[in-house]
Amino acid sequence: MTIKTKFILFGLFAFFLASCKTENIQELDQKQWNLVWSDEFTANQTNGIDTTKWTHDIGRGNNGWGNQELEYYTDKKENISLDGKGNLTITARKENFAGASFTSSRIKTQGKFSPKYGKIEARIKCPYGPGVWPAFWMLGTNVDQVGWPTCGEIDIMELKGQEPNVMYGSMHGPGYSAGNSITQRYALINNRFDTNFHTFSIEWNQDKVDYFVDNYLYQRTERSQAKGNWVFDQEFYLILNVAIGGTYVGYVNIDTPFPQTMYIDYVRVYQ
Amino acid sequence: MKKYIMVQRLLISCLAIFSLFWSCKRDVDSLGSPKLSHDPEVFIDGFSSGLNYAAFSNSVVTAFTVDKTNTYNNSTASMKIDVPDLNDPRGAYAGGTYFTSVGRDLSSYNVLSFWAKASKAAEIDVVGFGNDLGLNKYITILNAVKVNTNWQKYYIPIPDASLLKDERGMFFYSEGPENDRGYTLWFDEVKFENLGTLGHLTSGIMESKDVTVSAEIGEKISLSGFQSIINLPNGLNQVVSTSAGFYKFKSSDENVATVDDNGLITVKNQGAALITAISNGSTSKGSLLVKSISALPQPSAPAPIPDKQSSNVLSLFSNKYTNVPVDTWNTHWQFSTAEESFIKIQNDDVIKYKNLNFVGIELVSQTLNVSTMTHFHIDIWTPDNTDLPKSFKILLVDFGPNNAYGGNDDSSHELSFTKPKLATGQWISFDIPLSNFSGLTRKNNLAQLVLSGDLPNVYIDNVYFYKADTQVPDAPTAAPSAPTYPAADVISIYSDSYTNVANSNLNPNWGQSTRVSELNFNNNRVLKFAGLNYQGIQIGSNQNVSNLGFLHLDFWSSNASNLNVYIISPGPVEKPVSLTVPTTGWSSIDIPLSSFAPVDLSKVMQFKFEGNGDIYIDNIYFRR
Repeated sequence: MTIKTKFILFGLFAFFLASCKTENIQELDQKQWNLVWSDEFTANQTNGIDTTKWTHDIGRGNNGWGNQELEYYTDKKENISLDGKGNLTITARKENFAGASFTSSRIKTQGKFSPKYGKIEARIKCPYGPGVWPAFWMLGTNVDQVGWPTCGEIDIMELKGQEPNVMYGSMHGPGYSAGNSITQRYALINNRFDTNFHTFSIEWNQDKVDYFVDNYLYQRTERSQAKGNWVFDQEFYLILNVAIGGTYVGYVNIDTPFPQTMYIDYVRVYQ
Repeated sequence: MKKYIMVQRLLISCLAIFSLFWSCKRDVDSLGSPKLSHDPEVFIDGFSSGLNYAAFSNSVVTAFTVDKTNTYNNSTASMKIDVPDLNDPRGAYAGGTYFTSVGRDLSSYNVLSFWAKASKAAEIDVVGFGNDLGLNKYITILNAVKVNTNWQKYYIPIPDASLLKDERGMFFYSEGPENDRGYTLWFDEVKFENLGTLGHLTSGIMESKDVTVSAEIGEKISLSGFQSIINLPNGLNQVVSTSAGFYKFKSSDENVATVDDNGLITVKNQGAALITAISNGSTSKGSLLVKSISALPQPSAPAPIPDKQSSNVLSLFSNKYTNVPVDTWNTHWQFSTAEESFIKIQNDDVIKYKNLNFVGIELVSQTLNVSTMTHFHIDIWTPDNTDLPKSFKILLVDFGPNNAYGGNDDSSHELSFTKPKLATGQWISFDIPLSNFSGLTRKNNLAQLVLSGDLPNVYIDNVYFYKADTQVPDAPTAAPSAPTYPAADVISIYSDSYTNVANSNLNPNWGQSTRVSELNFNNNRVLKFAGLNYQGIQIGSNQNVSNLGFLHLDFWSSNASNLNVYIISPGPVEKPVSLTVPTTGWSSIDIPLSSFAPVDLSKVMQFKFEGNGDIYIDNIYFRR
């Protein structure tokens, strides 16, 4: 690999968790990160996604993947493909399919790659429109044994398409899930997450999870903040998807523009 | 109010203003001043530097005032617009433009934003920028702007800011009454901005649709449906109407059709050319495929000349009648592709529609009372295929007592016609009872006629309403049927079917006031007794009819209430027999001669008719 394996960041000295300030200068600790896994999505278009790294979720899940979502996830190239310009595209379409009103796609690294701790980052241009819900997130690998939320969930990026300048980073666990999750919104004052690419990342260790947008630290969740067990000392797998509707994002407007595409330039994991 | 009316009004208004403010036109020689202002402010707490206001013509000129009470975010002042009630003598609507005498450089902004609220929930017809009282080259319009009693922010994207380096049209608005009633509008914080919270700017022509038209060689067609689409901070798209100035147009085959900078297409030769556009560096959605054709076939003869009495007709279009005023024969409603032209066929005026999907015809400014009419008439001619299921549809719309569109009192009905009523290459006359338009429950304010269907090329003529002649005709239009008895069995007094007794006098002077004449239907004569009191006939010689059985008469009267016929023998001996009048058409009777007793049937010398009204008589003969 010719990609740089060393990234240097500067740790914070002064950081206000509840601050809405938009200072662009943060002084962060110096760290050394080694790239351990990545998908740059530069592979030959015709081959589709790299099945050594990703696997598909297909269908509507249980109760719309637990959130009354409206989409049916497929592995069709109309819903997920490489764009030939170095991006993975996940496209939500308004079309009747297998009883659902929308199709989209959701892929995960379950069973292929599941890091414990590290820096997990993706560079993404989001889709938009009321009811459109793109996400870059992680679930604990023991989800099939202990269930959700005991397995733990870390949302590195979630966005509600009716507020395309706002994203959320969240953490769900036993006693602090769904509406009671530990979450922070991050808004762009005069910009949007769907008009150009932004990087979304976390830095995760045994003590805390730090959340970043474009290398700006906007949230730190420490072990002591968990209102129940801290369930983040195990392996988590990565998920990328675009959901439509459901309890989190709310209704799709009749005028919501479709199709809607999430562009993912890369996903990188450092330790 | 409906958009098409408003846009039309706006354009007219702008034209009127253009001439009024001709003196405001920039002196071309003074162009090229090195630095134009980048001032983004239009109205914050007052007029920004160099800003002027001009009311549109026919609007209430005092509609706009500066308000220091109702302002957005407690600022010092806002713009207040008083929209008038319907029929306000001061003007029909509120509208005007805010412009600068010297242009501004707006190329570093991407949107005109403003806050607005109203005294009630309403839809502002038009708000925009780029109305510079001149060519309006970069006019951009937000239509049907929903406002309510809360302040809300609105965005009008600039389709391509790089072109607005010298713009004078900062802001304009036009709004009429809502459901006939006026209200108050406020605008505040009107300014140009560069907002990153707007995204995904795209453009379209032909309403972003792929449209196909047939056009004759030599014809000119205008591109339309220029629009710019932006995604708002709430994730929803907003469409604004804009102008050709923001586009570069291209024809796929300049040999077939060319297109100029204003989007005007000229059809040159046989073939097909796809017209597309680029705006702001990207291909616009939508296109116009021009399929050129040689001149359309047209009727070789005019439509049949109407035969209705002009006093029973309300005509919209006919050379035979005086026509009522029609606002337009093509409203150019949104999505209508119809184009009209007025042609002559052997000196008869005919309207030709091409690319007809539907066309609106309006009499809005002077609606028509057709409540006393019974029928609608139109003649059409089409060169197109009329095989099933091709249809031609006629829709009539009445605006109801409020004499205006909407207001829950409009009524309408559409009728659809197919083969065999439809036919190709011949005039087809429709005489449709208005009762067939059953949904047209009111007929006092007929305002719209809409033609539609599957015939893209239709010539029309003789469009009128009429009252069918339900009065009884006052004269027969033909002679009665000819008798069939053999001549040997007949002694005929008056009939063209037999040899009559010679030398009879059909109008002996017995002192009567009856006026006698004869009508001639194809050499079959009929006797007319006008204003009958009594009338005799002197038979040329006494007739012996005692071996015959009947007197035959054919008679016709629409207005007699009494009619007796006598036969007379010397003495005189006479006897009347009553005949039933008035008649429905010709009545034919064979009276047994015994009814005339005691007349001497061997010496019948005269007839007498007695009664009133106008009587027509034929086939007077005795038969076996």
